[in-house]
Amino acid sequence: MFEKFIDWEKNRHKYAKDWKKRTGGKVVGYFCTYVPEEILYAGGILPVRILGSHEPQDITEPYIFGMFCPFCRDCLAQGLQGRYDYLDGIMISQSCLHIRQAFTSWQKHIPVDFDYYLYMPNKVQSKRAYPYLRGEIADFKKAVEEWTGKEIRDSEIDRAIEIYNKNRRLMKNLYEFRKEDNPKLTGLEAMEVVISNQMTDKEEHNKALEEVLKNLPERDLNRETGVRLMIIGSEDDDTEFIKMVESIGATFVVDDHCTGTRYFWNEVIPEEDRLMALAKRYIDRIPCPSKDWEDRLRIPHILNLAKEFKVDGAIIIQQKFCDPHELDIPAIKKALEENGIPTLFLEFDVTVPIGQFKIRCEAFFEMFMEEDLF
Amino acid sequence: MTKNQQYKTEPLKCWQKAKEIRLNYYRDYALAHEKGGIRWSGGAWSFGAIPQGLGDDVYCITGEPYAASIAWNKKFALRCMEEVEKRGYARDLCSYMRNYWGSVLLDEYVFGGKFPKPDFIWQDHICCSHAKWYQVVKDIEPDVPMFCIDVAVGPYNIVNDNKLDYLVGQMLDGIEWLEKITGRKYDDEKLIEAVYNECRSTAVWAEICVLNKNIPAPLDEKTMYSLYVLGTLMKHSKIVADFYEELRDEVKYRVENQIAAVGNERCRLMSDTQPPWGFLKIFRYLEKFGALSVGSLYTFGLIGMWEVKEDGTWGPRTTPQQKGIEIKSREQALRILADWNLSKPEWQHFYSPHIKSEMMIRIAKEWHLNGVMLHYNRGCEGLTVGIAENRLALLEAGFPVMTFEGNMGDEREFDEARTVARIDAFMETLGFDKLE
Amino acid sequence: MVTAGIDLGAKTIKVIILDNGNILIRKIGLAGFESKKAAEDLFNKALSDTGIKKEEISEIVATGAGKEEVEFATKKVTEVTAGAKGAVFLFPSAKTVIDVGAEEGRSIRCDETGKVIDFAVNEKCAAGAGAFTEAMARALEVKLEEFGRISLKSTKTIPMNAQCAVFAESEVVSLLHAKTPKEDIARAVHDAIASRITSMARKVGFEKDIVLIGGVARNAGFIDSLKREIDMDILIPEEPEFVCALGAALIGKK
Repeated sequence: MFEKFIDWEKNRHKYAKDWKKRTGGKVVGYFCTYVPEEILYAGGILPVRILGSHEPQDITEPYIFGMFCPFCRDCLAQGLQGRYDYLDGIMISQSCLHIRQAFTSWQKHIPVDFDYYLYMPNKVQSKRAYPYLRGEIADFKKAVEEWTGKEIRDSEIDRAIEIYNKNRRLMKNLYEFRKEDNPKLTGLEAMEVVISNQMTDKEEHNKALEEVLKNLPERDLNRETGVRLMIIGSEDDDTEFIKMVESIGATFVVDDHCTGTRYFWNEVIPEEDRLMALAKRYIDRIPCPSKDWEDRLRIPHILNLAKEFKVDGAIIIQQKFCDPHELDIPAIKKALEENGIPTLFLEFDVTVPIGQFKIRCEAFFEMFMEEDLF
Repeated sequence: MTKNQQYKTEPLKCWQKAKEIRLNYYRDYALAHEKGGIRWSGGAWSFGAIPQGLGDDVYCITGEPYAASIAWNKKFALRCMEEVEKRGYARDLCSYMRNYWGSVLLDEYVFGGKFPKPDFIWQDHICCSHAKWYQVVKDIEPDVPMFCIDVAVGPYNIVNDNKLDYLVGQMLDGIEWLEKITGRKYDDEKLIEAVYNECRSTAVWAEICVLNKNIPAPLDEKTMYSLYVLGTLMKHSKIVADFYEELRDEVKYRVENQIAAVGNERCRLMSDTQPPWGFLKIFRYLEKFGALSVGSLYTFGLIGMWEVKEDGTWGPRTTPQQKGIEIKSREQALRILADWNLSKPEWQHFYSPHIKSEMMIRIAKEWHLNGVMLHYNRGCEGLTVGIAENRLALLEAGFPVMTFEGNMGDEREFDEARTVARIDAFMETLGFDKLE
Repeated sequence: MVTAGIDLGAKTIKVIILDNGNILIRKIGLAGFESKKAAEDLFNKALSDTGIKKEEISEIVATGAGKEEVEFATKKVTEVTAGAKGAVFLFPSAKTVIDVGAEEGRSIRCDETGKVIDFAVNEKCAAGAGAFTEAMARALEVKLEEFGRISLKSTKTIPMNAQCAVFAESEVVSLLHAKTPKEDIARAVHDAIASRITSMARKVGFEKDIVLIGGVARNAGFIDSLKREIDMDILIPEEPEFVCALGAALIGKK
């Protein structure tokens, strides 16, 4: 049922190259989900998120010091290896310092036709952020127009917002099926959908989603759900890990990842000033921890997800050296545990010691089955 | 006289005064409540001029220099960090932040007594940790209110009204907030005075750094650390602005009389990022080779404000008062303060290592350097961001580079023997023997 | 003119005595806990074996991590300078020298006279090359020589954490539990170290010819991995662990 998404995710480069050939459009690689993709899409550009490959590499050390997260180095390695040679442009929207380095090194060593740094505000809890980001998006729109030589019309922005919003709604519908006592899809399948979502044309992704949603109600996974898990943390596209966990008596029912709910949870609320509508969407979305201050607004949201999806326990993961997450994890752990949700903390690298993690997960799951054991 | 001495040396006359200003600062903060005054805590980059509008009895403690003071006290620093680790915080986080948290958690002030709890937190945010630092402090002490200004609007060369409006808007909100939480009426005159002081102190610091272009250098970086720190404590104060003028005059005198920081100067280097504070002796070790660090973008550009002068070289930024600008309103004062700070050299690299490389190459040329030693500082991702690109650019520009790993505040991450071995190898490649 | 080079490394001590560029003797011994005494004993042994008196040696040059321990040395140089000097003496075409010892990896770019242009040393988190291989050989219960050899039999690539030896070690344990064949694990370990070393060496770049020195250059499995990793040919001296000592002795000749 999910073959199409898996194919897109596994063959992401082929997809993007085909898309270019099919449409004659440009492709822009982006590094952070704060990029207002609607502007690119409205300009006839396919935004694709640059992700790592989970293969060990030894080519980034001259460019990024090893104390920064493995994810940013893995992303840069993809560029240095020429896997993204079809990109016409790259862009970042300001978030953490780590991933920013993948962008700035890419700028210099893998030059492309168009590169753009959008100075996304960090204080999303200030009302001042709205007019500011609106101005930054206006500058960005102008830069895209100058690059493509084509004006982006209001109607095109409207269409992009509509398609993106539809995608967000469909994604939420898909997640609804994970709330069931016997979820209609596994965490692995959900992850494939979500990752492929960040690298395909949303219109095509919508079609595939509608198809799946049509058939899902009849689906019977025919497997034990086991422990209902939530996974929380930094960027995570480690399908191997998810597969392993779901093979030993658990199911992931929801996530809080930027490769996950943080990406699609919020819709654009249309208004006459389209750029303001976009600014508001990106300011008010579920925040990355690097922007979640002075208050931690993500915690009540996480607790709410846990309740809605009837979560038994949570796995908290972070990319090694990810400072923004490291600064939130103790508070998140405390909040979850105070609400009766046990947590297991794991640190991710490009590859994970799957055997060791398996033992830790098994031990964690035994906690839920203590009554059966004794 | 050491062997091979070619220049005379002399201790700095105003050294003692610098020391006193620093100690008074930490004492005044601790004792502020006894005099009915206000205490705030925040960063060395905070817009410290703004809380000055609350009155003359407002005292602050800036987290980074305070944490560096903790790092000097290795035993206490270790206790601080272990306390933080016990609470589940990662060891690779900013070591200043961890030292500061430790001091709060242990309720011990590194200068003696209990940790003097601030009345409010006044921070700004540019690296991933700045706002989050005090968010965690709030987890520990939830009753201390916090306000944080986001300054990450991009490099100075693209600053526009939209970006300034964002900063000024937050500052205006901040003043309202300050009035609300302290119950005091805000005095714009005091703000304006503090803005003038800040522009004066930070421009004069740049002037002092320019004097180090001379051979022999009148100051070495190890000495500069003890001087620039005053700016990180209270760049907005008259005390610091006046002191920097006094210091500038003395350094001018040293230049005119060829008084050197290091008598056997023959190899000029610069460093980068905060040094490992517990191991400043590595700078003394350089002197065995007749080498010294004449500064860095860090010591020049964290407190100093710069501009390109008519002859194309780097010099102090012209202050509003030098331009004859009279500040008449709150809004105008804040706009000037925002614009002034956004030009801070040490904020530019957050957006691009390439901008930083250009500034570093400029320093290497104008300060006549033989080489560069980059501190790959595991304690500060904010200043270490992009450092590998800086290395490549410096090499490309023809300047030999040595890198060494360490941590400004966590001595467990600094390997003294290996660092000395690297210095030896670097000096060998530059062709300098030990002089003894 | 007779000169001597002593390389006091993290694990072993190497002594070379040179007479006008001709090697009179090579000696190797464990540094152990009393490395100062061990160095002196080894040097004296070299003297007695060659019948040369200490006074006849015009310069005794110490190098290596423990060079300060060699009190009888008349001169000290770092292993960076010594390594480059020694490698260029053996291979005049050498432009890049990769030195992999027990604890540290270094990469050096030099000119045709052996003068160092730039160098890099592995970062802290990527430390441990030789010592790590030994530990992994022990975990697999094979002799170190065999560990290198068996990995050549494998054709399988198993990705392993390339940065951190501690992480890599836990991955090896996972592979053992998963009953992965020994030769595949051995190759994965060598690939991981080669990747770490290459990563560091890229900082100074690769210019032909590339020479590999240090004790780990005796490990055929590692060499194979390194060649695959950098995709270039590598020159290896006959006695790779002696190159720094040789370089030191040559520096004494000047």
